[in-house]
Amino acid sequence: MDKGRISSMQMGMMMYLTIIATAILTVPSITAKYAQKDLWLSPIWASIIGFFTVIIVIQLSKRFPRQTFFQICEHTIGTLATKLLGFLYFTFFLIASGQITRTYAEFIKVFFIKTPVSVIMISMLLLSAFTVIAGIEVIGRVAQFFFPIFIFSVFIIIFLLLPQLEPSNIFPILENGLLPSLKGAIIPQVWFGELFLIVFLLPSLSDSKGMKWGIFTVLLILVTFIITNITVLFILNQNTEFYIYPFLSATQLVNLGDFIESIEPIIIAIWILGTFIKITVFYYVTILTTAQWLKLSDYKPIVWPIGILIVEVSVWGVPNLMVNNHIDITVFPLLFPIMQTFIPLFILGVAMIRKKSKTLEVH
Amino acid sequence: MVRRVKNLLKTKHINLSHSATQKKPSDKQATLTYTINENIEYFRSIYANCSDVVFRPILIGGVIQAYLLYIDGLANVEEADEQILNPLMNSSAKNTNEMMNMLENKIPVTNLRKLSTLPECIDSISTGNPLLLCDGINIGYSLCLAKWEKRAIGEPTAEVGIKGPREGFTETINVSTSQLRRIIKSPSLKMEELFIGQLTKTKVVISYIEGIANHNLIEEVHNRLERIKIDGILDSGYIEELIEDHPYSPFPQILSTERPDVVCSNLLEGRVAILVDGTPFVIIAPTTFFSLLQSHEDYYQRFPISSAVRWLRYLFLIISVLLPSLYVAILTFHHEMVPTALLLSVAASREAVPFPALVEALMMEVTFEALREAGIRLPKQVGAAVSIVGALVIGQAAVQAGLVSAPMVIVVAITGIASFMIPRYAMGIGFRILRFPIIFLAGALGLLGVMMGIIAIIVHLSTIRSFGVPYLSPLAPLKGSELKDTLIRAPWWKLKTRPHLTGEYNKNRQSPGLKPDPSKGGE
Repeated sequence: MDKGRISSMQMGMMMYLTIIATAILTVPSITAKYAQKDLWLSPIWASIIGFFTVIIVIQLSKRFPRQTFFQICEHTIGTLATKLLGFLYFTFFLIASGQITRTYAEFIKVFFIKTPVSVIMISMLLLSAFTVIAGIEVIGRVAQFFFPIFIFSVFIIIFLLLPQLEPSNIFPILENGLLPSLKGAIIPQVWFGELFLIVFLLPSLSDSKGMKWGIFTVLLILVTFIITNITVLFILNQNTEFYIYPFLSATQLVNLGDFIESIEPIIIAIWILGTFIKITVFYYVTILTTAQWLKLSDYKPIVWPIGILIVEVSVWGVPNLMVNNHIDITVFPLLFPIMQTFIPLFILGVAMIRKKSKTLEVH
Repeated sequence: MVRRVKNLLKTKHINLSHSATQKKPSDKQATLTYTINENIEYFRSIYANCSDVVFRPILIGGVIQAYLLYIDGLANVEEADEQILNPLMNSSAKNTNEMMNMLENKIPVTNLRKLSTLPECIDSISTGNPLLLCDGINIGYSLCLAKWEKRAIGEPTAEVGIKGPREGFTETINVSTSQLRRIIKSPSLKMEELFIGQLTKTKVVISYIEGIANHNLIEEVHNRLERIKIDGILDSGYIEELIEDHPYSPFPQILSTERPDVVCSNLLEGRVAILVDGTPFVIIAPTTFFSLLQSHEDYYQRFPISSAVRWLRYLFLIISVLLPSLYVAILTFHHEMVPTALLLSVAASREAVPFPALVEALMMEVTFEALREAGIRLPKQVGAAVSIVGALVIGQAAVQAGLVSAPMVIVVAITGIASFMIPRYAMGIGFRILRFPIIFLAGALGLLGVMMGIIAIIVHLSTIRSFGVPYLSPLAPLKGSELKDTLIRAPWWKLKTRPHLTGEYNKNRQSPGLKPDPSKGGE
C-alpha cells in the first residue's frame, strides 16, 4: 500500500514523540491524584504494559513477516471475525485521533483564548493530511528531524529549572505502601499501550531491528516519564494534582538572571512539534486501518474524508476540556489496553495454539 | 490551455528547423554529390540571407575548382590564409587523387575530418570549422580552425572567497572541461557530450568519475537530459528546471556553481556534473539541503573555524526565515515573552507608528527586497545612489517621520544580512520568499502560525528527493557517518569515507592513519 520504507530507528523516534508529546502535559497531574508523592514510581509499573505490548506485536510480526495486522487476523481468526475487528479498530482509531486532536486544541487554547478551537484543529489536521499523503517515509523523516529538537528542549528546560528544585520533596517514599503508585500507573499505561501502533509500521521497516528499537523506545519513554515526574514533584510538591498541565506550570518558574523568563511560549512551540507527529501518526494509522480493513488498493483517496471525520469526532465527541479529561480517566484506561494489548495478545494466543505462521513466500 | 499553446509553439519550431534542411535532400542521410556546383547551390540555398557565411572560390593547382565555406568571425582567418589557401593555390595537383593525397598529408591542420553527409557539413560550418569542398569528390573536409572571441578566465563573481583557487568557469565549454581536466588528471574522469536544443544545438557535457559515481545515477542523468526537446538552451538554469524532481518547490534541488574546484570536489564524492556551453554555471546532481549550505571555503580553512562558521550559518538561516515573523508574533500576541524593560523600550519606539506590526514588517521586507533587486539591476554608475536612498531615506528618514519603528529597521537589516550568509544564492532566495507567508501566519495566529509554517517547510523538505537522494539526508534519514561533514566540518584526516548515497561503490577516499603527528614524520 505504502511503498515507503523507514528504519527501525525512525520508527522508535516516531513512537517516542507520539507517546511523550501528550503524556508530558497531563499525565503527571492525573498520576499525582492517585500516587501522591510516589508519582515518579508509577511509570515503572505502567511501562510493563509497554514492554508487554512490544513483545506481543513483535512476536506476531515474526510469525507473519511483512503481513499487515488484518492479514494476520485473517490467518488466525478467519475473515468474518476480521471484518468485525476491522470495524472496531476503525472506530477506535477515529475516536483516539479525534480525542488527541482535541487535547492539542484545548492546550493551545490556554494561550490563544480568542482563537476558535476548530481553527486550531483544522490547521493542524491540514498539515497532517499533507504529511499522511506524502507517506510513511516522510513521517519518519520529519520525526527524525524533530526528535533531537524535542529531547534537547525538554532537557534544557529541566536544566533551567535546576535552581528551583527541592529534592527533599521526594520524601516520604512509599508512605502508604505500593498501592497508590500502582493505582497511579493505570493512566500512564494507556500511553505505553500506544506502542501497539508499531504493528502498522513493522511491515514498512527496511531492517530487522524492530525488537531492539521497540524495547529501547519503551525504556527511553520510561526515563523521560520518570525525569519529568520527578521534576514536577520537586517543584510543585503535593500540589501537582491541582494543576491541569503541571510541567507547563513548573516551567513558568524559570528565571535565569532576570532575562530568560516566561519561556512557556517556547514550550508550546516545541510541544506543537511533538503533537504534530502524534496526530500525524494516529491519522496515518487510522487511514491505514481503514484501507486495510476495506482492502483498498490505495489509501490516498480516503485521507481527506477521514480527516473531516476526525474533526467531527473531536468537536462533537469531546465538547470541552472537562469531558476530555473525564474520558481520559474513565474510558481510556479500559478501552486502550483492550484494543492495544489484549486483542493482539488474543490473536497471538490463537496463532500459537493453532500453530499458524506464514513465512515469506518466494514468488 | 497554456500547455496546448506551448505544444503548438513547439511543433512550429520543429517545423521551422525542418524547413531549413528540407530544401532539397530532406532526410538526414543526404550526401554530397560529385559536382561542386550542385553542392554549392545547395549550401547557398540553405544559407540564403546569411550575410555572415563566406563562400570563397579557389582553384587548386590552377585546375580543380574548390570552395572554402566558413562563418565570418567564427573561423581563424589568418590560419586559413597561411595553412590552407597558400598550399592549395600553390600546389601542383592536377587530378583528384593527387589533390586528395596532398590534402590529407601536406595540409598542416591538427584535426582534419572527412564528412560525407550534408547535416554533418552544416554542423561543421556552424561550429566554426571551415569546410573545404572540391570538384570531383563527394567528400567535404572539415578543417579544425574554429576560433572566436571569448572572455578570458576570471575570478568567479557570484562565489567569492578569501582562500582557495581564484579561477572560475567561462562561457566556452571546452575551456571549462579543460579546467576540470587540469585538476583531475586521471583518465577515469569521463566527459560525455550531447547536444540539446533544436535550434541552438547547445553542447552539453556530462562529467563524472568512473568507479566513484553510481551507474544508475549516470543513466538517470542521461535519461532526463535526453528527454528534453526544446528550441534552445541559453543557460544551465533551463536544464536545471527541466530535469529536477520537484518542479514546484522553492528550493533548488541541483547545485549550480561557477568554480572548478567545487565541481571537482563534488565529482570526487561521486556526483555528476552537467556543463552547458554558453554559461559559466555548471550544475551538479544530486544535491542535498546541507550541501547547499556549505561553502567551498569550509574545506580550505582550519576545521574548528569552519565548523564554527557552519553553525553560525545554520543559526542565521533560521534567523533569515523566522526573525521578522517572530517579531510580529511577539509584538501582536505574546508580550509576556519579552522582558519588561525590553518591551517598554520597543513599545516606546512604536508609539508614533500608525501601522500594526504585520503591516510594518511587510512594508519594510518588501522594500528591502526591492532594494536588493534594484541593486543587482542598476548600472554601476548609479549603484551608489541606491545605497544612499536605502540607508538614508528608508532607514533614518522613515524612522524619524514615524512611519516605521527603529526596532523594525534593525530586524529587517539583520534578516537581510542573514539571508546573504547562505553561500548559494538560489537557496538564500528560496528562504527569503518563504519569509512572507510565515509573516502572514505570524500576524494571523501568532507563534502557532509560525510553528505551522516551520512544520510545513520541514515536511516539504522531507518530501523532496534530488535524483533519488533524500534532501534532508544525512540528518533525516540519519546517516551517522556523514554527520562529520554536516554538523561540523571534521578535519581532512577524519573525512575518510565518501557520502553514502552518491559514492557507495568506492567508499574510502583516503588511507587510514593520515592524522599528522611529529612521531610519524621521516619514516
